[in-house]
Amino acid sequence: MSDRGTFLTADNKNSTAAVSVKDLRKRFGPLEVLKGVSLEAQEGEVISILGSSGSGKSTMLRCINMLEVPDSGEVCIAGEMFRLKKGRYKTEPADRRQVDRLREHIGMVFQSFNLWSHMTILENVIEAPVHVQKRNRAECIEEAEALLERVGIGDKRNFYPGHLSGGQQQRAAIARALAQRPKVMLFDEPTSALDPELVGEVLKVMRSLAEEGRTMLVVTHEMAFARDVSSRVVFLHKGVVEEEGHPAEVFRNPKSERFRQFLSNER
Amino acid sequence: MDIAFMWETFLILLTGLPLTLELAVTSIFAGGILAFFLSLLAVVGGPIGRGFTRGYVFVFRGSPLLVQMFLIYYGLGQFRPLLQDLGLWAIFREPYWCAVIALTLNTAAYTSEIFRGGLKAVSLQQVEAARACGMSGLLLFRRIVLPIAIRHALPAYGNEIILMLKATALASVITIMEVTGLAGKLIADSFRAFEVFIVAGAIYLAITFLVTRLMMIVEFWLSPHLRMRPPNLA
Repeated sequence: MSDRGTFLTADNKNSTAAVSVKDLRKRFGPLEVLKGVSLEAQEGEVISILGSSGSGKSTMLRCINMLEVPDSGEVCIAGEMFRLKKGRYKTEPADRRQVDRLREHIGMVFQSFNLWSHMTILENVIEAPVHVQKRNRAECIEEAEALLERVGIGDKRNFYPGHLSGGQQQRAAIARALAQRPKVMLFDEPTSALDPELVGEVLKVMRSLAEEGRTMLVVTHEMAFARDVSSRVVFLHKGVVEEEGHPAEVFRNPKSERFRQFLSNER
Repeated sequence: MDIAFMWETFLILLTGLPLTLELAVTSIFAGGILAFFLSLLAVVGGPIGRGFTRGYVFVFRGSPLLVQMFLIYYGLGQFRPLLQDLGLWAIFREPYWCAVIALTLNTAAYTSEIFRGGLKAVSLQQVEAARACGMSGLLLFRRIVLPIAIRHALPAYGNEIILMLKATALASVITIMEVTGLAGKLIADSFRAFEVFIVAGAIYLAITFLVTRLMMIVEFWLSPHLRMRPPNLA
């Protein structure tokens, strides 16, 4: 069957990485946003993904949980690959249920928080554990309260998202993602929509997550976070990985001219 | 004005109230269900579903309810043999059911537009957040899309309920003796149109007052997130 023949096949041999992305390609109409990006995150690694706007960094992140379906390439979460098939017009997931199941293990934090406006903060946090993962509600509430306490908004549990500041909303969104007990956390420019004075409180939470050994992929413009917290830095430019390495190394001694330029602009 | 006569009129018209309410409740309920599926069809049904809903809305919103009622009650009478063959005559013979059908089809057109607007207003970002944590299909619809859509649609839907309540008065022209029908009969007997219609109008006013209060309570209850003051901490 042609349908089955076009499965983008995997070789799952050395894929114990928490996240592994191979040769990801994605185009929007005439614009090729990702031109073959590969990336691997071992468990406990914190990877900062840098790049100017339009470099494809957000698209790459969104491909990891299939919010954007890549045209070709592989995405594996803890060794399991998203099965894709060629549809009539575009590549699509071969098994929607697999996508849902893998997404349960991926916590995502969005630039504009995306909290559910009709639910209280606590309800936001327990939604996925209770209704997607079918865990015991009382336990979920207990865990959620601990998470909210941890991100510093334990007293806001009965507030609605609209009643909180941006920084508080983003911390609630982080707690919501953590409540899924994810294997990996994705952050899509988590501080870009915040007032400068609120950025710090969110970064502090993210820093503490990194310190406890969570696997994190962070698309960010916060150079200090990338330099001090991440175990690896990936610089994307025009849809390809232009520079990659340990932050101490790449920040001190960038190999690529583009990254050098990028750094001088950001500082 | 003759207060005693008005009181008597009031008592008589009140006997038509159950029928008015029955017409309204039945058609709002049935029309709501029909509208729900029509709006779903419009949003997720692709070009064919969208086209169908658009056509339906165009026809039933674009022509007077009174004409629709006449068509169903008097017009379909011409096809009596066919309807008898189909076993549908028992329904179309009854003015009550003709009124219910006309009201239902009509309100479904308006309501489906209201629901469609509610569904369209659900922000893609909130849906994306739900997808990202593993929700899809019915669960996503039930937990995220529908609750948000209902909150968007509620004020306009309350308006539609009130319009329907008043539209039941049209059923009087196909011989149904609800409040307005009884009023017409009383006027024919007494020639006192002013008093009778004042009382009839007051009855409708009282019901719509109750309905608007009820809608306000529901809206208040569903929208704590829109109120300025955060709730007290538990």
